[in-house]
Amino acid sequence: MAHGVDRGPLTLRPVFVRGVGAITPLGSSWPRSVAALAAGKSAIGPITAFDVRNFPSTVAATVAERFDGVADRRLALAEVAAREAWAQARVSAPPEMLGIFMGAESGRASFDTVLSLARAAGGGASFDHVKFGAGARALAAQIDVSLLSPASVSSALAREFGAAGPARTISLACSSSAAAIAEGARAIRVGLCDLAICGGVGADVDPLMLAGFGRVGALSARGISCPFDVRRDGFVVGEGAAVVILAAEQGPALVELAGEARSLDAHHLTAPDPEGDGAARAMRAALAASRTDTVDYVQAHGTSTPLNDAVEAAAIQRVLGKRLDRALVSSVKGALGHWIAGAGALGFLAAVEAVANGNVLPTAGLSEPDPSCALPHVMGTAIQRSVDVALVNAFAFGGANCSLVLRRCA
Amino acid sequence: MKRGAPPIVVSGAAALSAFGFGWRGLGRALRDRALKPAVSTQLQESHAGVLASELASIPAAVDVGDARTQKLMSRAARLGAVAVKQALDDAGWADAREEIGCFFGVGASGGSMTELREMLRASRDDAGFSLTRFGSAGLAACSPLFAFQLMNNFTLCHAAIQSGVAGPNSAFYSRGNGTLVALAEAAHALSEGDCARALAGAADTALHPVTFAELVREGRAQNGFVPGEGAGVLALTREAEQPLAVLEHCGFRGPGLAPSELVRELLEGVDGLEVDLVVLAPWGASARATLREAAEARFAGAALLDISLGLGDSLAATPALAWVAALDLLVSGEAERALILNAGTDAAVGAVLLGRPT
Repeated sequence: MAHGVDRGPLTLRPVFVRGVGAITPLGSSWPRSVAALAAGKSAIGPITAFDVRNFPSTVAATVAERFDGVADRRLALAEVAAREAWAQARVSAPPEMLGIFMGAESGRASFDTVLSLARAAGGGASFDHVKFGAGARALAAQIDVSLLSPASVSSALAREFGAAGPARTISLACSSSAAAIAEGARAIRVGLCDLAICGGVGADVDPLMLAGFGRVGALSARGISCPFDVRRDGFVVGEGAAVVILAAEQGPALVELAGEARSLDAHHLTAPDPEGDGAARAMRAALAASRTDTVDYVQAHGTSTPLNDAVEAAAIQRVLGKRLDRALVSSVKGALGHWIAGAGALGFLAAVEAVANGNVLPTAGLSEPDPSCALPHVMGTAIQRSVDVALVNAFAFGGANCSLVLRRCA
Repeated sequence: MKRGAPPIVVSGAAALSAFGFGWRGLGRALRDRALKPAVSTQLQESHAGVLASELASIPAAVDVGDARTQKLMSRAARLGAVAVKQALDDAGWADAREEIGCFFGVGASGGSMTELREMLRASRDDAGFSLTRFGSAGLAACSPLFAFQLMNNFTLCHAAIQSGVAGPNSAFYSRGNGTLVALAEAAHALSEGDCARALAGAADTALHPVTFAELVREGRAQNGFVPGEGAGVLALTREAEQPLAVLEHCGFRGPGLAPSELVRELLEGVDGLEVDLVVLAPWGASARATLREAAEARFAGAALLDISLGLGDSLAATPALAWVAALDLLVSGEAERALILNAGTDAAVGAVLLGRPT
């Protein structure tokens, strides 16, 4: 079967959440992480893996497991999360009906690659292109190309789970994994596959990423992650993997992915549209697709940057209006930092937890809400409340927005 | 492209290639003359003497952004932004651009080598590369936005920012079929009513020194491989007064099976259809032979055009350039229905069917 658009008569199928899994800085599984998150714990701490003197930010949310001998940390994290999700799902499908949809970026080479490039450049006072050209050839045995390719995560999971259906890698920066979940849902809706392993991984606690985001002023100089708080001054990089198993068949699923939508700000490389129009359009379209009027919970993008949080809060207020009276809002980045390509999938899991178990996780680090971010925040510890509908936001550098709507199964 | 749903039609296009900055005439030029690769200027310092299919300098009349904005773009991002602007102009889509969707195949964008050089130079001490110096002087030596040249989605986002396109979107990592996925998703978004107009395409380059070094070490820069660069975009809609072509099929398959088997499965999607033009976009000699053999067996008598022979390989952009070359031959009346077959470095194959509107 070709994975294309000429598919014959279509009735869009519903999409159900059959399993979730994660490895986070607060736990080697999603239930362990949830327990810590619900208690209001935060994983933000000093970086010890490398020398961060002089770096714009010196803290991160780091996964404790070292994965010694593993060349690509992304793969190790993704496989742990995917195995947990798969085990929980207890599903099966022919290989060609199992798809893989992962959010990932490339070019953000690991520090090892930076060092290799520096060595290949010849060791002179400046970058020597001739030596680099010759040295790059010699690097063949030294550099695993999977360290550079965003597609390697999807490929590794396809091998591990014997998936021969659609395998896609979505590169949309901080909304990559939310968009990957949206792509997986679409593939199930139209019959390209019956099961989809979706999610994302962030493994960006490395010098190059800290350098890049630090130089642009996006990281917290104070070293705190406190979305929507008056003290917020930037995000903190985190790492981990979050994976969800989506299926056409409901089985014992408690949660349905009811709507998904994407938009572009078309505004600025790093700053959100100050009016929040792009974010609002994504939320409205996702809610319209889900044919849902009420929202009980919003898992916000909430990065802890001054501009993003204020713009998102205003957009949420504008989109939900009176519906916000009955809703709760939180961001898991307060506890686990910003996973970049993996962030949307982590938020999705937090929303699944709210809908499936009525366990609304708090925004760690938030103690004094900024008046410009006036929302019904969840602070301190988790709130137990029945949640029928949840909205998940993921907004990326460059202005790519994705919103997802989850609904409790009838 | 649900059966029974209004067809997806092509309302405009854009192409940037070594043949020039425009899509009209591209297919005919490729048919009539092979562009001889020339020694690459972009690879001159790192890989001297490499023959490439390289664009001329971007004319100011077609370029986007000011000098500062252009400096923030990777080469692929700049090509993509120019192509999106051209496609919008070609389709006459000046209004309500915030509703237009944009789906792109993207590669590793590649940061400025000047920035990288400055960063590395400032990061060295007497003992070699110093992490401590990197954290201070190294970072200070490069643009604060250097990291964003490296992120794949910025090929899409620069184009959106420059043109105001703000509808449904996605950027798929592509060494071939990711670009087909972008086209399929654009068609899906149109079919489902997520948007009424959408752009689908890709922009990429094999001429960035680091990208080319990767290709070398992967063993892919051999057997006559000619690195190229470019961008191709189709402007798609459900309705147009004077459509250029109809998107009849978009399918892709693999990896996992032998290429010949993948192509056989793929062509089942267009079984029974008459095709009088087959455009091939293969990666390397082996894929070329596989696609050619399948095309000749299934569509005997159809004209064959191999764009890789004329344009080299521009990675994610190659399939999109092939669509646009086929479109040119359809619009110029030289074909009624064109099948475009691609095989990328991802060991997957794709097929797109474009027909003249009835």
